[in-house]
Amino acid sequence: MKTLLKIIGLLVLLGLVAVAAIAFVPIRATPPQGQVAADFKPAEGQGEYAMRLADCAACHTAEGGKPFAGGRPIESPFGTIWSTNITPDPETGIGGYTLDEFRHVLYDGVRRDGAHLYPAMPYENYRMASEEDVRALYDYFMNGVEPVKSEVKKTALDFPFNQRWGIRVWDWVGLASPGFKPRYNNPVLNRGAYIVETLGHCGACHSPRTPIFAQDGTDGTSDGFLRGGEIAGWSAPDLRGAKSAPQLWSASQLKAYLASGRNNHSAVTGEMSLVVQDSLQYLTNEDLDAVVAYLRHIGDGDGGKEELPASGEKPAPDATTALLNSADPSMDLGPRLYLDNCGACHFTNGKGADGVFPELDGNSLVTADQVTGLLHVILNGSRLPSTRERPADLAMPGFGKRLSDEEVAALATFLRGAWSNKAGPVDTATVAANRSGS
Amino acid sequence: MSTRDHSTTRRGFLQSAAAGVAVSAMTHPAMAQKQPPVALEEYSPTYFTAEEWTFILAATARLIPSEGDGPGATETRVPVFIDLQLAGDFGNAADWYMEGPHVPDAPAQFGYQSPLTPAEVYRAGIAEFDEWCRQNHNAPFAELDAATQDAALTALQKGDIKLASTQGASFFGLLLQNTKEGYFADPLYGGNHGMAAWVHIGFPGARASYLEWVGIDKPYPLGPVSISGERA
Repeated sequence: MKTLLKIIGLLVLLGLVAVAAIAFVPIRATPPQGQVAADFKPAEGQGEYAMRLADCAACHTAEGGKPFAGGRPIESPFGTIWSTNITPDPETGIGGYTLDEFRHVLYDGVRRDGAHLYPAMPYENYRMASEEDVRALYDYFMNGVEPVKSEVKKTALDFPFNQRWGIRVWDWVGLASPGFKPRYNNPVLNRGAYIVETLGHCGACHSPRTPIFAQDGTDGTSDGFLRGGEIAGWSAPDLRGAKSAPQLWSASQLKAYLASGRNNHSAVTGEMSLVVQDSLQYLTNEDLDAVVAYLRHIGDGDGGKEELPASGEKPAPDATTALLNSADPSMDLGPRLYLDNCGACHFTNGKGADGVFPELDGNSLVTADQVTGLLHVILNGSRLPSTRERPADLAMPGFGKRLSDEEVAALATFLRGAWSNKAGPVDTATVAANRSGS
Repeated sequence: MSTRDHSTTRRGFLQSAAAGVAVSAMTHPAMAQKQPPVALEEYSPTYFTAEEWTFILAATARLIPSEGDGPGATETRVPVFIDLQLAGDFGNAADWYMEGPHVPDAPAQFGYQSPLTPAEVYRAGIAEFDEWCRQNHNAPFAELDAATQDAALTALQKGDIKLASTQGASFFGLLLQNTKEGYFADPLYGGNHGMAAWVHIGFPGARASYLEWVGIDKPYPLGPVSISGERA
C-alpha cells in the first residue's frame, strides 16, 4: 500500500514537472525558411500584395472598423475568439515587434510575450510561407499600415481552452514541418500550390479537421487536403472531388468565381464573400491562373471543359421542372413555395441566370450536410461583394419575414431533393434554431 | 375633376410598400393572416371618427356590393384600406404640391387643385353629404335603404349634389377610386382581404414569374400569392 502511494506520488510529481515544462520553458522559434539578402527591401506593393494573399483583413479588420485594428469575433467550436490589433501601434498593436518576433507569430503561433495563439490564426498554413513574403509582410505592417491605438476585446474561452499553454501540446502533435517545398516541374503549379497552401490558407476552412481539430493535411500530397470542412456551421465545400464545383466548372468559370464571386453557375455566400472581397479579387491574372491550374491538378476528375454556347434545342424538362412548370394547384407546399418565392430569379429549371442568379441544381450550399448556410441565405438573404471586375453588389432578399419555420423547412427540403439534388430533409426545429441564431 | 389626379405615383406606391413591409415585419413575425382580423364593426379606425366610419362602411358596400358576382367591399375590408391610407402619406398629401393658386376648372394636366388634403376632403365631404341625406331623406346616409343610397351616390357622382366644402376636390371621385384600390391592392395595406378580389378576377398576385407560361394558351392554374407570402 505504501509503495503504491509512493508510485502514485512520483507519477503526479512527474506530471506536474511535465506540465510546468510545457507551460514555462520557452518554445524555439522556427528560423527563416530560405535565404534572403540582409538588406532585402520589398518591391513597391509587394507587402500589400502578400497581405492580400494572406487575407489578414478578413479577421483583423472588424466590420466597419479601422483596417487591421482587430476586434472581429471569430466563432470557434470552443467559443468566440476576438482578433487582435495588428496595426503598428507600439502599445496596443504590433509596433514593437522585431522581424524575428513577427515571424515567430506567423510560423509558430507564438506571441511576443510567449503566449500561444489559438489556431484560429492559420499559422498551420503561414508557417510554410517564404522568408521573402514574411519580410514583405513585416515591412507592410510596420510601414504601410496606419497605427491605430485600440485595445480589443480579450478572448476569454472557458476552461480548459483558456489554458493557452495547452496549445503547445497541440502544436507539437498537429503542426507540419515549416517551409514550402516546390513539388512540380511546372512553375505555374508550384505557384498555385504555394498560394493555396501557404498564405491563401484555403485549407483552414476547406480541409476537414482531425479529431484534435488540426487541418487534415496542409498540402496537396495529403488525401484529406481541401476535401471539405465546416465554418460556423456552414459547409466549406470539397474542392477536389470529381463532383465538386471546382472540378466540374471550366477553368475560366472557376477563375471568374474566385475573382468576382460569381460565374455562370454560382455566387459566393458566407465567409467566402469576405475572401473574395478582401483577398482574391486583388490577385494578379497570373496568380489566379496558377491557383485555378493547381486546384484542377489536385482534383479527382479531369476538370470541366470550356462551355460552348448553348444550342437552340432545349432538353426535355426533368420531373422537378415539369412539376413547377405545371403550376398544378395540388402540388406540395415545398414546390408551391418555390414558385411563390424563388422561381422568378432561379427559374423552374433551377438554373438561374449566368453571373446573376446562382444555379440551385447541384449547388453545394443547397445540398451540404450542414444546412446552416442554406437556411441562413433563405432567412436573411445574401449580398455579393463588390469587386473590381464585377462592381455590382447584387443581393438576394431575406425571406425570414415572409415564411414561417414550417414553410422554410418545406422549401429547404424541396430544394435539397429537387432536380438532380439528393440531400436529406430539413425539419422545423432546425429552422427555428437557425432563425433565432441568425 | 378626373379621378386620375388622385392616383398614387409609382414612387409613392413603392415608398408606402416599403413602409408597409417594414410595418408588417414588425407586427407579423410569422404569417399573421392565420389569425382572423377584428370585425369591421369592432375595428377602431385610425383616421375616421365613429360617424365617418359608419358612412364609409355603408358607402363602400354600395360601390362594390356583396350580393351578385364576386366578393364585395365589405368582405374584402376595403374600409380598413381607406382608413389606413387617409392616416398616412396619401391622406396628408405628403408628397403633393399643395401651394396655391388652386384653380378648380384648370385642365387635368395641371394636377390636383384643392387646398384640402384627401383626408380633409373625406372629412368635409362626408359631413356635407350626410347633411344632404338628412335634409332630403331625414336620416344619415348609412340609415337609408339600398335603393335610396344608390340614388344619392349617383346624384353625387353626376354632380347633381354639389359639395361646396370640398373646395374643388371630387369627394365621390376619391371615394370610388380608393374603394377600387382597396379592393385590388395587396392585402398588406388592409384591403383585398384573403386576396379574394384577385381570386375573383384570376390575378395570380405577386409571384411575378410566368416565363414558362409564355405562349401556353390556357389559364394559369395556381391561385395568387401576396407580398407577405399568403397563398390562396
